[in-house]
Amino acid sequence: MARTYRYAEQEEFMDKLRELLQSGVGKEQLQLYTPYHLPEVEQLLALPPGRLRLFPLIGGLGGFFGGLALTVYTALSWPLITGGKPIVSLPPFLIIAYLLTILFGSLASFAGFLLLARLPELDNLLDPGEFSNYFIIVVAGERP
Amino acid sequence: MKSLAAREKLEQDVLKGLRRPGKWYLLGLACCALLFLGALGLWGYQLSRGLGVTGLMHPVGWGVYITNFVFWVGIAHSGTLISAVLFLFRARFRSSFNRAAEAMTIFALMVAGLFPLIHLGRVWIFYYLFPYPSQRTLWPNFRSPLVWDVFAISTYMIVSLVFFYLGTLPDLAIARRRLSGIRARIYSVLSLGWTGSHGQWKQYGRLYLFLAAFATPLVASVHSIVSWDFAVSILPGWHTTIFAPYFVAGAILSGTAMVIILVVPLRRALQLQPYISIDHFEAIAKILLLTSLIVSYAYLVEYGLAFYGHNQFEMELFRYRALGHYRALFWLMIVCNSLVPLTLFIRRLRRNLAYLFAVSLLVTLGMWVERFVLIVTSLAHDFDPYAWGTYTPSWVEIGITCGSFGLFFMLFLIFVKTVPVLSMSELKERL
Repeated sequence: MARTYRYAEQEEFMDKLRELLQSGVGKEQLQLYTPYHLPEVEQLLALPPGRLRLFPLIGGLGGFFGGLALTVYTALSWPLITGGKPIVSLPPFLIIAYLLTILFGSLASFAGFLLLARLPELDNLLDPGEFSNYFIIVVAGERP
Repeated sequence: MKSLAAREKLEQDVLKGLRRPGKWYLLGLACCALLFLGALGLWGYQLSRGLGVTGLMHPVGWGVYITNFVFWVGIAHSGTLISAVLFLFRARFRSSFNRAAEAMTIFALMVAGLFPLIHLGRVWIFYYLFPYPSQRTLWPNFRSPLVWDVFAISTYMIVSLVFFYLGTLPDLAIARRRLSGIRARIYSVLSLGWTGSHGQWKQYGRLYLFLAAFATPLVASVHSIVSWDFAVSILPGWHTTIFAPYFVAGAILSGTAMVIILVVPLRRALQLQPYISIDHFEAIAKILLLTSLIVSYAYLVEYGLAFYGHNQFEMELFRYRALGHYRALFWLMIVCNSLVPLTLFIRRLRRNLAYLFAVSLLVTLGMWVERFVLIVTSLAHDFDPYAWGTYTPSWVEIGITCGSFGLFFMLFLIFVKTVPVLSMSELKERL
């Protein structure tokens, strides 16, 4: 059983959400839908920072060290001196490592987003439910 | 008051752009497609006859193709500046421009990426530049700036695509609700089942911040790396430490001008005046003015360094740029990039869209000419007078250059009819 509250205005929605939380409704009972991002909701629900931040960290570090490993390994596997420069020339190799940090950091972040936001919803891909202009609160375990 | 009616009206106004195209749109699209197809034909001609059909000849081995590459990468930069840097600085006017600017970034990079390929004699082995374990056990030379370019442009393209797609997710879900038939199904799949739950918005907000943080250093680094194609050589006029910031400022100047060129007619055609105000254009015009001042300062510093350093080759090259064969282009560059934008100090002119559009056209022309002057004069007039020469682009090069503009505007016109041109979910916060 679930009860749904539907509001046209953000203020009414926020007031109701505060009221529900003060009346002892647990945040795990709440499912909220908003037409745009409302950081105030996260503050109100006191949501933890989440695990998404680990993805750019892991991706970025992997990209950096992967870039260094790629450049150093390939230079050493055919040690041909060009332009009088050392075989392992760190300044240009750092450029590649830096670019791969950004590339893999971004891709890992996006992959983490898909994982944590549970997207794509393959079961409901063609009929996922309305993304409307209303602010909606669904309270699980309440009489409709 | 963030009223429901205002949000509904915003959706209707923005999604009007996805309606059946009119005859002017189709005419424009056909012209752009023809230009592009013409360029493809010319490229085919060049492939069959060899690079001899271009004007490239000793001593000028880099001409219009490399100019176009640098120019289009530069155009791409403003998109990231507007979408990522202005997001981190919480500049609210960005939501009027960010979708168009991000699309512009992707299309400009697609066009830019073609030019090193067109410039290659044997384009079918371009993949030698990518690191893969080949039969010959040869790897790319990571000390070469051309390989840095491959990594820089590929990274920039992929990060820009992810950023663009993420931003469109909620808007594709709105399009899914508002449209019907096969189009609703396509938008439904593309929106990945987005419902706007607080769990999704939470991850969306975090990811947007992370991607903005990743993309921001790219604004400075990608064109710096492109500038090192030149700066790590020993040619007078190229071998200078100022090249990286100078290129980045020029990139943002030309990209901002292109955003104005795209958004002024877009706003009028789709009647988006309530969402893209004159104040927003004024804010963008200030970025144009600021970057023009930085570029002008770089021009002065270049000359100052050449003459203060008292290196005879540098001094001769800079004298040649201003007074030699290409002097008309040099002075055109000064007028378009340094003098004309100064008029934007006048508030009335900054707020006049027709004037702003005209200034942006001149700046775009000036920035293309700047790239040409930088690249060609240094090659044409290096250390040894016996090796001096001149370069004039052939009709093949000019045709392919026109075709690149055709491709860019064709892609943008297709974007206008397939993706909501304004970020509706962001604009709703502002209503």
